[in-house]
Amino acid sequence: MKSALHNMNPSVKFLIITICMFTLAFFFNPWTPLIVWIGVLLVQLLFSRINWKVWTLFMIPFVIMAFGYFWTTLVFAEEKTGPVVWTILNMEIREVLLNHALALSFRVLAFSGLSLLFALTTKPVSFILSLMQQMKLSPKIAYSILVGYQFLPVLKDEFVQIQQAHRLRGATQKGNIITRLLNMRKILLPMLAGAVRKSERAAFAMEARGFTGEKRTSFYHIIGIGKLDVYMAALFLMLLIVSCASSSFI
Amino acid sequence: MLKSWKLKEVVLMSLFSVVFGIIYLLFLHAGNIWAGFIGPIAYEWIFGIWFIVSIICMYIIRKPGAAVISETIAAAVEVLLGNAVGPRLILAGVVQGLGAEAAFAATGYKKFNIWVLMLAGIGASIFSFVYGYFMGGFTVFSTGYVLLMLGLRIMSGALIAGVGGKAVVDGLLATGSLRGYAITRTAKGDARV
Amino acid sequence: MSDVIQFIDVSFRFPDEEKVILDHLSFSVKAGEKVVITGPSGSGKTTLLYLCNRLYPENCDGVMNGSLKLFDKESSKYAPGEVNHKIATVFQDPDAQFCMMTVEEELAFTLENLNIPREEMDGKIAAVLELTGLTDFRNAVIQQLSGGEKQRIATACALIMEPEVLLLDEPISHLDPYTGKKFISWLDELQQERALTVVAIEHRLDLWDGFFDREIVLESTNRVNELMTRESSIQGSQSLYVEAVHNDSFLKPVSFHLQKGEVAVLAGPNGSGKSTLLKALCQLIPAKGTVTPDRLGYVPQSPEFLFITKSVRDEIAFGGGTEVETLLERLYLQNVAEAHPFAVSHGQKRRVAIGAMLADGREIILMDEPTSGQDAASLSELYELIDERARQGTTFLIVTHDMEFASAIADSVLLMDEGQLTGKFNAESVWASEDLLTAHHLLKPKGGTPREVCFA
Repeated sequence: MKSALHNMNPSVKFLIITICMFTLAFFFNPWTPLIVWIGVLLVQLLFSRINWKVWTLFMIPFVIMAFGYFWTTLVFAEEKTGPVVWTILNMEIREVLLNHALALSFRVLAFSGLSLLFALTTKPVSFILSLMQQMKLSPKIAYSILVGYQFLPVLKDEFVQIQQAHRLRGATQKGNIITRLLNMRKILLPMLAGAVRKSERAAFAMEARGFTGEKRTSFYHIIGIGKLDVYMAALFLMLLIVSCASSSFI
Repeated sequence: MLKSWKLKEVVLMSLFSVVFGIIYLLFLHAGNIWAGFIGPIAYEWIFGIWFIVSIICMYIIRKPGAAVISETIAAAVEVLLGNAVGPRLILAGVVQGLGAEAAFAATGYKKFNIWVLMLAGIGASIFSFVYGYFMGGFTVFSTGYVLLMLGLRIMSGALIAGVGGKAVVDGLLATGSLRGYAITRTAKGDARV
Repeated sequence: MSDVIQFIDVSFRFPDEEKVILDHLSFSVKAGEKVVITGPSGSGKTTLLYLCNRLYPENCDGVMNGSLKLFDKESSKYAPGEVNHKIATVFQDPDAQFCMMTVEEELAFTLENLNIPREEMDGKIAAVLELTGLTDFRNAVIQQLSGGEKQRIATACALIMEPEVLLLDEPISHLDPYTGKKFISWLDELQQERALTVVAIEHRLDLWDGFFDREIVLESTNRVNELMTRESSIQGSQSLYVEAVHNDSFLKPVSFHLQKGEVAVLAGPNGSGKSTLLKALCQLIPAKGTVTPDRLGYVPQSPEFLFITKSVRDEIAFGGGTEVETLLERLYLQNVAEAHPFAVSHGQKRRVAIGAMLADGREIILMDEPTSGQDAASLSELYELIDERARQGTTFLIVTHDMEFASAIADSVLLMDEGQLTGKFNAESVWASEDLLTAHHLLKPKGGTPREVCFA
């Protein structure tokens, strides 16, 4: 049971989460996103063994972002009608507005909750393999993505080495974000030049091992779909229906 | 559509995405928390950096689909690198890529000058803004605030993605490492005329 | 026996270049033969190999004339990928020939390409790992393995296709000689077991020790002279003092001195801390201890990592030195002074890097693996460069695995093992000591030709 989310088919999980997000975009009451967010938390508590410390670390910036949404909505919203419910610093906060502000910030939380659920319970390689096996993603693209992923440590190491070499030459001034953006170009150039070389070599190596980009008939790692996916999808849909219905009751 | 693509071109898009993924991770994460307090407008002026991959790849490879495929791959790579925004990013990537692609398609994939690249940046800005408008619930904001956000994003798309993307590729072209890609063939053709 | 590869009057050129890479070339390889193709850089070795596995002409839109038959069938008649399981390839760059994370996934990727039914995959993977002695690596993450291990994995990936021909694209050029030699003897056993046809391109035959039956020389340019043992250019005065340099994690306290004009080689097994020591000395990574002077020059294995401007001249002038023109002249860079530093040859890049360091007043140059992946001509160029600069009073500390090169160039040798400096030795005494050499995974150099013989 604790591994249900981890064992779910990544494509099904991806689709369900996307459906949830698109549906949420139509709701401007605070309850719907809040219920989804809490629901997502409960689902993870029951059906996953994620590291909650990591979850918290990732969630903090989203909570701050939700706060950013909250006050900007209060200040920059279009709608200025309805009864006054709250007054701060001579600013009258009206009920409709407060609801909107809460709705948008909870939406940020709900989106992040759904995204984190996916990110923390899905193996990257399985996700790509599943996109290829269930969603008919072209092997040419799927394996190119995997090559890129596999190069990550090599390229990260290169990035550090170039940074060090530039520091030796006194070329990295600390500064504001604009000078950093301009400096980034100097690091980008050797990295991209290296990436061009590597991508040709990797592509040749793949072709030399018989890779043609055609659809394949057999897979070593089969990412399957089973009853579990049906149950979990039903669970998410129920959560979504309850949250949507709540808007008319509360 | 994919038949006409060489494998090395698709792998190139993926590796470029990883390079930019690393840049995003290591450069832009510091100080993010403060940006959060400012609300949805905080990132608008720098938004163009997300479109730069599609413009760079199209400018180099020059095949229909280069912008949308590269932007989608970039988003998928971001997810693999552990970006917490996750699945939402993939859809956003497709939409942004379509925006840039639209500009290139409108010019029949024949012109790749600075104006077309800036137009692609603007296209990506507008498409991504419409998507963000819907998903982020911008309807509740006042028209002035929304227009300000849109204006900032368009400027960023044109300058960072369009002008910046061209600068990066032109720099790369000068290093002589793009031999064997469409961009060098046309560069050489131009020189002969 | 039948011909497996047959070139009849083959010519080849790249689409955007006038120069013909292969000019009316004819040769054939019979089943079971072991053939090596040699020639200097630019002679078309790689092109030739890529024609054999059909990567070219498609991938570069190259123009090919003449007839190239693979297994008695015209190469252009094969569908893409069709012939690749019969003619498998191991490439030279250990970092850039994989696409999956783990060894098992990589082998499975290859089998999937051939549409092998899933039930047979496990058995085939186990069998090839058994054959190649790599069973323990089945679940290893490829990018965490060493260069030598990666090349073995690449070979296993080629063999799992049960090919008839194995193409080798300078497979040991990125390995140190010790590892390279082990790879060759491992390959030799495999070849005997499987009776493979082997076609290799290689610029250095000294480590292969009669592995090949036949050599095809692509372009006989004037053979580069063997490196001669250089005369010491030590100028008496001390120039580099290193006292107890160490860091918190791996590097144990290291102390040594170098003299002005001295050329020292730093050697030791992979992972012994050589690169870490270099970086600690030039303060690229935090370290304790003292280094005098505090500004040292550093040339990484890829010199272009240092470059930040758009022309060779600007690159050397970047630090604000006044002797830019003199340096351009002394390093033979005048004719590329306006070129982009990324666009010049590898040897020139190294000159630019050294020029930039000297212009910065960094008179002691630390070089990280400048010999790796270099052919004889470029090694000889490197040798000349170091020799000349050392005579002008520059001090060198060079990390290299190449003991042939080291024995030709070094006044002294610093040996390292497990983060610790074994000591600084007179070069001659290291070559004489079997114990020191084996303890540090080094091969005894065959000996540089004495100066007089070279001039004869």
